[in-house]
Amino acid sequence: MAGLPPYASTGQKVWHYSYLVICAAIFFFLIAPILIIIPLSFNAENFFTFTPEMLALDPEGYSTKHYRDFFTNPDWQVPLWNSLKIAPVATFLSVALGTLAAIGLSQPHVPFRRAIMAILISPMIVPLIISAAGMYFFYSRIGLQGTYWGVVLAHAALGIPFVIITVTATLVGFDRSLTRAAANLGAGPVRTFFKVQMPLILPGVVSGGLFAFITSFDEVVVVLFVGSAGQKTLPWQMFTGLREQISPTILAAATVLISISVVLLVTLEVLRRRSERLRGMSPG
Amino acid sequence: MTDSATTPPSQPMAVLPGGEVTENGPMLAADGRPLKHSLNRALRREKLRAFLLISPLLVFILVAFVAPIAEMLFRSVENQIVSETLPRTVAALREDQNLPEAAPGEPVYEALYTDLFIAAEYKSHTRLGSRLNYESTGLSSLFRGTGRDVGRFDTDIYTDQFVEAAPALEDPVAWSNWMADDEIREALPFTADAWDAWVTLTVEANEDDPLEEDVEDFVYTALYRDFANGASPSGFPDVDVSNFESVSIKALFEESDEDWVDPDVWQVIKTYSPNYTDGYFLNSVDMMNGPGGEAEWRPESEQIYLKLFWRTMWMSMAITFSCILLGYPIAFLLSTLPLRTANVLMILVLLPFWTSLLVRTSAWKVLLQQQGVINDTLVWLGLVDDLNRLQLINNATGTVIAMTHILLPFMILPLYSVMKTIPPSYMRAAKSMGANDWTAFWRVWFPLSVPGIGAGSILAFILSIGYYITPEIVGGTSGVFISNRIAYHISSSLNWGLAAALGTILLALVLTLYWVYDRIVGIDNVKLGG
Amino acid sequence: MAQGSSSEAFVEFERVQKSYDGEKLVVKDLNLSLPKGEFLTMLGPSGSGKTTCLMMLAGFETATHGEIRLDGKSINNIPPHKRGIGMVFQNYALFPHMTVGENLSFPLEVRKLGKSEREKKIARALDMVQMGEFKNRRPTQLSGGQQQRIALARALVFEPELVLMDEPLGALDKQLRETLQFEITDLAHRLGITVVYVTHDQTEALTMSDRVAVFDDGRIQQLAPPDELYEKPQNSFVAQFIGENNTLEGVVERIDATSCLVRLDDGELIDALPVNVSKVGERTRVSIRPERVESNLERLHADAHTLPATVQEFIYMGDTFRTRLKVAGRDDFIMKTRNAPDQPRLKPGEQIRIGWLAEDCRALDA
Ligand SMILES: Nc1ncnc2c1ncn2[C@@H]1O[C@H](COP(=O)(O)OP(=O)(O)O)[C@@H](O)[C@H]1O
Ligand SMILES: [Mg+2]
Repeated sequence: MAGLPPYASTGQKVWHYSYLVICAAIFFFLIAPILIIIPLSFNAENFFTFTPEMLALDPEGYSTKHYRDFFTNPDWQVPLWNSLKIAPVATFLSVALGTLAAIGLSQPHVPFRRAIMAILISPMIVPLIISAAGMYFFYSRIGLQGTYWGVVLAHAALGIPFVIITVTATLVGFDRSLTRAAANLGAGPVRTFFKVQMPLILPGVVSGGLFAFITSFDEVVVVLFVGSAGQKTLPWQMFTGLREQISPTILAAATVLISISVVLLVTLEVLRRRSERLRGMSPG
Repeated sequence: MTDSATTPPSQPMAVLPGGEVTENGPMLAADGRPLKHSLNRALRREKLRAFLLISPLLVFILVAFVAPIAEMLFRSVENQIVSETLPRTVAALREDQNLPEAAPGEPVYEALYTDLFIAAEYKSHTRLGSRLNYESTGLSSLFRGTGRDVGRFDTDIYTDQFVEAAPALEDPVAWSNWMADDEIREALPFTADAWDAWVTLTVEANEDDPLEEDVEDFVYTALYRDFANGASPSGFPDVDVSNFESVSIKALFEESDEDWVDPDVWQVIKTYSPNYTDGYFLNSVDMMNGPGGEAEWRPESEQIYLKLFWRTMWMSMAITFSCILLGYPIAFLLSTLPLRTANVLMILVLLPFWTSLLVRTSAWKVLLQQQGVINDTLVWLGLVDDLNRLQLINNATGTVIAMTHILLPFMILPLYSVMKTIPPSYMRAAKSMGANDWTAFWRVWFPLSVPGIGAGSILAFILSIGYYITPEIVGGTSGVFISNRIAYHISSSLNWGLAAALGTILLALVLTLYWVYDRIVGIDNVKLGG
Repeated sequence: MAQGSSSEAFVEFERVQKSYDGEKLVVKDLNLSLPKGEFLTMLGPSGSGKTTCLMMLAGFETATHGEIRLDGKSINNIPPHKRGIGMVFQNYALFPHMTVGENLSFPLEVRKLGKSEREKKIARALDMVQMGEFKNRRPTQLSGGQQQRIALARALVFEPELVLMDEPLGALDKQLRETLQFEITDLAHRLGITVVYVTHDQTEALTMSDRVAVFDDGRIQQLAPPDELYEKPQNSFVAQFIGENNTLEGVVERIDATSCLVRLDDGELIDALPVNVSKVGERTRVSIRPERVESNLERLHADAHTLPATVQEFIYMGDTFRTRLKVAGRDDFIMKTRNAPDQPRLKPGEQIRIGWLAEDCRALDA
């Protein structure tokens, strides 16, 4: 793909450049809808399209009033805080249980490994509406429906597959002779775990945790059913807004969420690089 | 040092003093037990350790996730409500011979009287009414109406006549003594049953002491039934009921609502009286239990679910196909570019992947509106007339566009991870043998990338057919999926059994695909991110 | 030497067996003892059980039967991290998340040494392998040979008396391997440590070791110093495995304490040294090194038996000539002669007679 050879025919050139244009268009399709939200969120009017003032780059056309609304209106602030109260606890549960289980699953002799794996990954595959329906029925019966812990448990269950997948992926590449070397050098099992194994699988654990966090932080369907008004989260508020009367504050909220995604993405990329460097997969 | 250090290999293995080694015969461990045994024990210990590490999570998932799913499966066939609310009626209906031609006989109505009286006290008759209303409209109001009337039925004539004949029959304490006597209970089965029900009801629902309350009419009605059947237990006031003024319970029901003598109504009650039913599943595929009890199609106007399943499938296929169409060129580009450039461009794929679903859906809602950015641009470019703006949202188009955008990263990532493993030397080899660009691509590269297409397609399709949020917001009525209907039945129509049955069918579909995916790709090969 | 009850034995295997599955023994009745300071190599084809022996010694596998003793004490029930045995792994097993210095510091921290003492020992160990300036590098920033040196330094830094090495040079190119072979033996002798070294490369085994244990099929086939192994192979496996070797098959015709007569399958008679045969009529496989085959019959005893041979191929190799002969029905018989003025240069098709001294031709198991 890197450039055309000097002997390329005209047909090849035309094809090559049109292919690049097609790819550019697809990238545009991927990224533009997200980026366009950002300027729209600074609209001085309550419109969802660019006003003539905005197109003329007139400062009058822009304002931060939707952000002011987002950060002061309890309709948005309460859900934001609910989300921030639910996601970290759910993430902690997923990561703690998921990491232990992933270590167990990577042992050489695990009975029914495939079946267990299939069960643990299933929350990612089963349609959310089905999980939500089942949880609604079951949690009502055991008194968890409409409670904080009900939502936390449900979200933790949804985050588990990501932790399992990322941590087992790190463990697959884990060289057993490293733990043997540690034992040989005199380290007991506990020290070997914390000094050798843990630091090496940490990138996997952290990225699994980020996935679990974003899963909970973005989740609407399950919380709609398992939660009650007291657990209204940010995505829930956005969903209600989108379904009922849409207010431009939603664009400000979306922009805030995009910034969070960018931060997470960068963190993940840094972790990936670091982990590859540790495993010597790419130099430098 | 001498050569005697070696053991000539031809010498057969000796049986050592401990009895440990034999070339043939079971190998023994140091403690004399078969080696296989102690190895198995060691293996079991290892398995146990692995299992101990896994079990907290497994228990958690079983409770927090699998049990709810199981509950949903159970709900799709569960139907205890009729037999729980109307236990006596269900039992009496079993004996009845009149159905389906005519309304059932008096004993069924007598049983219904007791059941409904109790249900009305617990207020559970309205729930039963709405449950049966899914099967035949009108039953909800029937139960609600008669539930109000049943306390005022003219059965007090029995009470009055019994009390007049034997004043002791007015005393709840005396009643409770009689009803503690097994012989009397045996002789007066309906009475004993009604008495027990009344005691429970008084204690549980009204939180009163039965020994201080007036015994309810339905107990005397039951007593009349027993006596009319010829019972005369010893130790119980002997009353001659042959001259009693009597009243037909059936007539009382008919008076309350004449639907009660409609055999069709009773047929519905009878069909749904077993504890488990296939009714919800039949409903999910636009069928129902007919009057004769066999499954039949619903009327044309009520057939919606098969169409909805079908729409969900083909729209998911359309979405998957557009994902392949848009994802393949991108994955190809990324996998042939130098790693550094590819990593930068990869961010353009990963940013949408990491961006909140709600944000992306909001974006499309805003962009696709008739007064939205896309229509504005098209009008500005003169491609579309201002009065004739495109309808891009609240229909299938909206759903397909938005969902393609949302699922595209799930197609690109597996495609890319497969394509990255195809060595560039293959294409070069093909070209060195004289293939042109297209042949080299089509005959060498493309077949090698097919596993990626398979993995990406199944993933996108699985995720797509279960989607709820995006169709709900941009799909209007013509662009919604089966998930949206399930949600509607849970939160609006409250027909949970039907929601569960629809969910079970959807789940079966998804799990089949999941199984196929596991076969082809392996679940532990799922890759997340770059 | 064999049944290791001698008082100076440092490492002892006594009747050790190992089975992974309870059906097949991968180590069968292993008896081995080595004194302090010895460099012992386990040599054998892949799958012969060498790694398993090493792992049992290091404590990562448990012997199914038998006892392993270190310095007179049984270590069967001591976990690996309490054994104090240094080990160099085939893939080095350097901790990728630690620098070279941290890797070396790890065993010292475990042993609760003070910081200054640690620094001193690390510096000394790194100097020993000439890697002094790489202390702050990460393992992934080093070449294979450098990683190998660090692995060696890490195994030595806590001053174990016994060091195990499992094919430590297997991943390196030939030239680097030779340099490191020399460095390892030199270091081992200088520090006076006992080394158990595993390899499948016979040159490596012969050049480095005090003694070599040849493994096959879970057994030690022969345990001897390198020269003895080459000159006096004890059975046909060792004869075949070590160096180049000609074999002929036949039946013992006459036997006494120092020599025997073997009738080859095509009827010819040859002289041999009885090693693994005891009675007349036994089948045997005789082994002769190519350089001991003599075509100048004047150098043999007058009554020595000789064989007719047909020259198949003559290869000029500078210092030696290599002649491939057809002898007793086999055409892979090699004769190696020194390039001397009186040595004829044979031509393919030429008919000659060959013979050897009886003590150079060993009659082994069939
Ligand atoms: N962990 C294990 N489980 C089962 N069999 C094993 C295991 N490790 C080695 N083996 C088997 O034991 C035999 C000896 O292996 P090994 O000691 O690694 O040989 P070497 O190091 O001489 O190549 C081989 O047949 C191998 O397949
Ligand atoms: Mg080995």
